[in-house]
Amino acid sequence: MVDYTKPLPVIEKWNAPYWQAAKRHEFVGQRCRTCGYVHLPPGPVCTNCLSDDQEWIQLSGKGTINSYGVYHQQWHPGFTDDIPYNVALIELAEGPLIISQVIGCENDALACGLAVAVTFDDVTPEITLPKFRLLGPSGTMSAGR
Amino acid sequence: MGLHDLRDQVCIVGVGDTQQGSVPDKTGDELAIEAARAALQDCGLTKDDIDGLFVQPSYGHQGSYLNVGLMLGLNPRVGGAVEASGATGCYLIQHAALLLYAGMAHYVLLVYGTNQKTNRNRFGGALLEEHAPYGAFNPSLPFALAFRRHMHLYGTTEEQLATVAITQRAHAAMNPKAALRAPITLDDYMSARYIVAPLRLFDYCFITDGGHAFVLTTAERARDLRKPPVYLRGLGRQEAFRAYETPDLMMQSFQQQRAASMIFPMAEVRPKDIQALYVQDAYSPAIIAALENYGFCPVGEAGRWIQGGRIALGGELPVNVNGGQLSETYMVGWQNTCDAVRQLRGDCSSRQIPNVELLMCTYTGGLREHAGALILRR
Repeated sequence: MVDYTKPLPVIEKWNAPYWQAAKRHEFVGQRCRTCGYVHLPPGPVCTNCLSDDQEWIQLSGKGTINSYGVYHQQWHPGFTDDIPYNVALIELAEGPLIISQVIGCENDALACGLAVAVTFDDVTPEITLPKFRLLGPSGTMSAGR
Repeated sequence: MGLHDLRDQVCIVGVGDTQQGSVPDKTGDELAIEAARAALQDCGLTKDDIDGLFVQPSYGHQGSYLNVGLMLGLNPRVGGAVEASGATGCYLIQHAALLLYAGMAHYVLLVYGTNQKTNRNRFGGALLEEHAPYGAFNPSLPFALAFRRHMHLYGTTEEQLATVAITQRAHAAMNPKAALRAPITLDDYMSARYIVAPLRLFDYCFITDGGHAFVLTTAERARDLRKPPVYLRGLGRQEAFRAYETPDLMMQSFQQQRAASMIFPMAEVRPKDIQALYVQDAYSPAIIAALENYGFCPVGEAGRWIQGGRIALGGELPVNVNGGQLSETYMVGWQNTCDAVRQLRGDCSSRQIPNVELLMCTYTGGLREHAGALILRR
C-alpha cells in the first residue's frame, strides 16, 4: 500500500464514536435525548438546547448536494494528484450539513440539489472517511469507478 | 438608553497607513507601529493622549496586544486584542465607540500590521480541523459554495460575477495606494485559472504587507483636532456560530440581515441614502451577499443588479472605490474604512465621490460567523 499522505482526522473524546463507526462502515450522528436535535460535528452538548444528555444514532446516509467547489489549486501535497477535486457541502436527510467529497463521478456531473448517499473510503487501516456517491434517478447508487 | 443614543457621538479623527504591497524590511508589528504614528500625526495627538489601545492579531504571531503595547510605550487605561477574523477591524471600532461614549476612554488607538506577503502566507489551512481530510483548504471555500448555490438558485453567472473584479480594478487604476492597477477585461477574467471553482484568480484578494491605524474620540473632543471628524452614524453586527447547521447561514442571509436591521434604524437612514459601499471582500462573492442582505437590491438579484456600471464610480452605488482587497490591499477591511474616512474628508482627488456625506462599510469574518457594519458620515 502506498503511504497515505493526506491529512487524517484528529480523533478526540467527542468525535471518537463517529470515526469508530465509520471504520465499521456505519454512518452516525449525535441526537439530543432532551430535545431530539440531530447534529454533527460531534460536541459535548446539544447545540440546540445545551443538554449534555446525548446519544449516537444511525443516520440514513442519504442527503443532497447543497453546494460544492472544485479545487484547482494545490494547498497540500497529498492532494496534488487529485486536482481538480471536489469538496461538497452535503445536506443530510436528518438535517446536519457536513463537508465531504462526492466520489465515483466526474466533477462535471455534480450539481446543487442532486441526491447522494454515503459510501466509505478506507484510507488507512485505522481510518475510514465517509464520502458520498450520486444516486441515480431511481434512488439507486450510480455505477462509478 | 438605547443604541440610537450613540449615533454621531463618536468620531474617527485620525487614520494612518504605511506602504502597502511588498515591504520586506519590516515585521508586521513594525508596520502596525508605523501606521499608529501616522494616525497620531494625522489628528495631531501625541501618544500620551491615548488611553485606549486595541490590536488585531495578524499572521505569524504578529499583533500581540502585549508586544504592540510595549513597542509603542503606552500606558492606556483600557485595551486588548479582539479575534473575530475578517470582522475584527469593524468590531474594534465598535468597541472603541462604546468605551468612548461611556467615558471609559477619551482617545482610542486601533492598530493592525502584517507582513503576510513577505512571509508567503498561503492561507492553506482548513477552516475547521475536520475538513482537512477532505482537502477543504483556504478560506475561499465558503464563498465558492455560496456563489455556486447562488448560481443554482437564481441563475447568476460567472460572467456576472466578473463585474466585481473588473470594476474594482478600474477603481484601483485611479488609486496610487493600490497594489494592482492594470485594468482587466472580461476576457482576462474568464481566461484566468480557477482556484476553487466557480471562483477564479481575480475573485481572490491580493495578499499584501502593510499597516493601518485609526484614532477615535468623542464628537466633543473631535472638534479641537487637526482634521474634520468623521462621525459613526450607525453600527451593525451579528454573530452566527451555527452557520454550518443552517443552509441559509451559508449565504450569510441571517447574519447580515440582522446586522442591517440594527444599523439602518440606528443611523436613521435607508440603503438608498448610502452614497458608496465598502465591502470587506476577501473574495468577490462577498459583494453579492452584502448588496442583497443589507437591502441594496433584492435577494437573488445582485448578479444582474451590478451590471451596467451601477457599482462603478459615478454609478448608482459605487462599491469599493479604492479597489478593495481584490486590487488595493488586503488589510482585512481596515483599508476600506480608511478610504471611507478620506472620501468623507474630500481627500481622494480623481476618485473623489462628489458631495459625499454618507458611506457604509461591511465586514465578514470566519466561515460565516461574523458580520459587522459601520455607517460613517461627514
